Amino acid sequence: MTTISTEHYKNKAKEAIKDDVLQSALAGLQNRLGPATAAMYKNLPEGDELRYKAHEVRMFALDNLDMLLEQLAQKIRQRGGNVFFARDQKEAVNYCLEITRRRKAKLAVKGKSMVSEEIGLNDALIKDGVKAVETDLGEYIVQLAGEHPSHIIAPAIHKTRNQIGSLFEEKLGISYTNDPPTLTKAARKHLRDAFLTADIGFSGCNLACAETGHITTLSNEGNIRLATTLPKVHVAIMGMERIVASLEDHDALFRLLSRGAAAQNLAGYVSYIGGPALDSEIDGPEEFHLVILDNGRSKILADEEFKEILCCIRCAACLNVCPVYGKIGGHSYGCTYTGPIGAVLTPLMTDIGQSKDLFQGESLCGACQDNCPVNINLPRMLLALRAKTAEGDPRWNIKPSSPVEKFIFSIWSKLISNRKAYDFFFRLARFGQKILPTKNGEIRKLPPPFSGWTLDRDMQQIASKSFIQKWKETQK
Amino acid sequence: MIEENLNNQDRFLKTVKEAIKASPGGYRKNREELFSRLSQSTIDSRLKKIQNRTRADQLKLLDLLMEQAEPINLRVMPVKNLQSASESIKELILDKNPEWGTVKKVAAWKHPLIDKLSLGDALAKYDIPVYQSELKSTDDLPAGKQMIREQIFESFVGITAADFCIAQTASLVMKSHPNQARAVSLVPSIHVAVIELNQIIENLGEFYFLQKWDPIQKKEGLTNCMTLISGPSKTGDIELIMVHGAHGPCELHLFVITGET
Amino acid sequence: MNRNKSVTLFIQCLVDQIYPEVGDAMVAVFQKLGISVNCPTEQTCCGQSAYNSGYKSVSKTAAKRFIEIFEKSEVIVCPSGSCVDMVRNHYPSLFRNEPDWHSRAENVGGKTYEFTEYLVDVLKVEDFGASFKEKLTYHDSCHLLRNIGVKDQPRKLISKVAGAELVEMGNSDKCCGFGGTFSIKYPQISTAILDEKLDNIMSSGATTVVGCDVGCLMNIQGRLSRKKLPIKTMHIAQLLVQ
Ligand code: SF4
Repeated sequence: MTTISTEHYKNKAKEAIKDDVLQSALAGLQNRLGPATAAMYKNLPEGDELRYKAHEVRMFALDNLDMLLEQLAQKIRQRGGNVFFARDQKEAVNYCLEITRRRKAKLAVKGKSMVSEEIGLNDALIKDGVKAVETDLGEYIVQLAGEHPSHIIAPAIHKTRNQIGSLFEEKLGISYTNDPPTLTKAARKHLRDAFLTADIGFSGCNLACAETGHITTLSNEGNIRLATTLPKVHVAIMGMERIVASLEDHDALFRLLSRGAAAQNLAGYVSYIGGPALDSEIDGPEEFHLVILDNGRSKILADEEFKEILCCIRCAACLNVCPVYGKIGGHSYGCTYTGPIGAVLTPLMTDIGQSKDLFQGESLCGACQDNCPVNINLPRMLLALRAKTAEGDPRWNIKPSSPVEKFIFSIWSKLISNRKAYDFFFRLARFGQKILPTKNGEIRKLPPPFSGWTLDRDMQQIASKSFIQKWKETQK
Repeated sequence: MIEENLNNQDRFLKTVKEAIKASPGGYRKNREELFSRLSQSTIDSRLKKIQNRTRADQLKLLDLLMEQAEPINLRVMPVKNLQSASESIKELILDKNPEWGTVKKVAAWKHPLIDKLSLGDALAKYDIPVYQSELKSTDDLPAGKQMIREQIFESFVGITAADFCIAQTASLVMKSHPNQARAVSLVPSIHVAVIELNQIIENLGEFYFLQKWDPIQKKEGLTNCMTLISGPSKTGDIELIMVHGAHGPCELHLFVITGET
Repeated sequence: MNRNKSVTLFIQCLVDQIYPEVGDAMVAVFQKLGISVNCPTEQTCCGQSAYNSGYKSVSKTAAKRFIEIFEKSEVIVCPSGSCVDMVRNHYPSLFRNEPDWHSRAENVGGKTYEFTEYLVDVLKVEDFGASFKEKLTYHDSCHLLRNIGVKDQPRKLISKVAGAELVEMGNSDKCCGFGGTFSIKYPQISTAILDEKLDNIMSSGATTVVGCDVGCLMNIQGRLSRKKLPIKTMHIAQLLVQ
């Protein structure tokens, strides 16, 4: 991935919480999109069954992935398209650069694609002298501001219209306005030229269909259609897991994806692309390339505990309900994939030890799974990752991370195995708490390792007698 | 390069295969059983159900379409016949103003249904040209394509037909065909589509079923580029406020010819 | 009618040490129904905090001990949704690869109930003759709601309390930010989430927050106390004996 700074999670989170503008943007997102998606699931004729079915469809695809990818590649080649299998981001980027160099491309337009963020395509293109323009409005805003997306579907959700107004005033030279339609129109005007003159278009792939041999792109703005129709060359990059077997699998998945992503019945534009345009056609790209990317995915696929995360269709519904994301925003995660999905995926794709804050800094409330269109058990995997850091795992090259914590839990293990020892411990604690500062019976300050609790909260004192003790007394 | 790519592919797929082996799930299948199948009798009966819809059934689907179209700003206008479609489209073109520049130009597919609208004639007296996207076999292909492309870029209204219309999601389906430039439904600010009543089908599931099992559709396939369009272009990227006309058309008008006399 | 019934109390560690009055209230409720109550005095903690921190071996030790203590019981009732979730859902998964322990875990999990779930779904009693003249609001604890499926049961119980008016807060099902060790390791994030909960409580106009899990209640109470807000927290068992 381009820039990983997951180790700054705690500090960035603190800053984000203090940022009132961000807080109101996040509250807006969560109060509107989260509940709207939930309401749409409820209105599905199939009810929750559809989410379970979609999960099965995705697991089926994973279990047969090699054959499905082979068929996809074969069909696309039959139609005159090129398919390249890239093991890692470097291979993927190099392949893209080969094309831009051969075509002497100067201007590239990009449809929204998280996987191109993942491989750092923009920077590579720019370094190579190709101007790469993001065309999704949110991505465009973020690119103008020199930032990275903070949300998978709504990349500029951290920015207010006032901020966007000032940004456009500065970068596009228009007079200041904070009116969303006017701002949208300004971007429309600016990007229109780029679309009409670009040499190459890049896109991602939402979910390919192996049976027919097509990739698909979904958007509401129409930017992806433009970017994949007008330039002479179209390069699509897909994570290798983004495929289903049969055509009708798209029925459940696209309805769910559209609901999860934007609380709508179906995305405004759904395109099936299976190759370059025919000679007899008036327009459409004359060259089509599909880059299928591994970049750590096969390692996840090989792990029973984690392969389920590859069911993800990147709809961001889990972000829209996650209480943690709702407070710290996307940038705190320090990586491409944020929110609950990022908290599981990023460590697995990068380094579990380095990014442990991502999966430890979650409250395990389970709202993500409920809102996930493919019912991915994210809490289970957050726990599994915690188990990896707690107890270590050579396969993931990870050693137990916190000796102090481990020690505390080993003592705790002894205490809870013996009621007498347990009682003795709490007797000590009961005695010890007397020296702590209190007010109205509430402790104001706890010692480490519990001090975090009383940073902003009081703590009820331990009772003078435990329930069990009282019970014993009444039974006598 | 192709050789090399194939080597890459083998190596890549081998890794994938090994990964699957390392975490076996319950869904592994043989190659022949990868894709869903239906019995011929199921196919026949469902096809029959779709093809034998009565006019009343189709009108019900039209109602559903109109109901679903409204919230996504797709304007559906039932018209009795080709002539009134042509009239209404002419009115629309006269009524609307170009988004870029001041000259009114119109781009249209070369398509039997669109041809019958005779819009070129209807608009000639207003000096509004209607460009048909048609490559003549005698043309120098690249130059012909370039010319049509430019005409479409200059047009403020684009007129197309569609292969299907899906009522439940209010989607127009367009496969890629010669002489039906993709840009007509994409670049002009206003997209006008014309379909006939019997092109409306019920839902996405039905659409996929037809693609897979209806002999005619099956033969044609999804083509190299098939697009489902549900409403005009829109975005919510600024504070989640819905704005129409992000990059694609700002308006989408769908005329449904109901064939009433 | 409950003459022959007996329940075994599974006392969450927080109730045991910090909120014993919740246990007392639970006992009083069962006594009122004429149900005999047992309580194994050697029980300690179900191992949830270790489990949630990734220490599977510690939680396994706790789980085995719990199973040994409780497996002979007829019915096990606990005043905490997340502890029931641990026993019912996570114990079996801990022993995925140990068939013997797995079936013992399933057996115990199958007869472990959350307090309100047991009252409403099993005993089918909702009215305990309690009376409490206040505006109440109810906080849905995450694991109780999502993993045990308890949503209506406590509300039914509250609706039968004479004089009590249930006013729903906004987003009652949103996490309070407790998350066990999360609240200690990431206090700022936890507090930010908690403050949203407090805002929702305040705007409901209620004077008491009722919940089914003292973990959440302790969290909410701690912040209310720090902010000196005049709102009380109360476990549902306590409400039923008012
Ligand atoms: S994990 Fe589920 S909810 Fe989250 S982005 Fe992936 S598919 Fe969407």
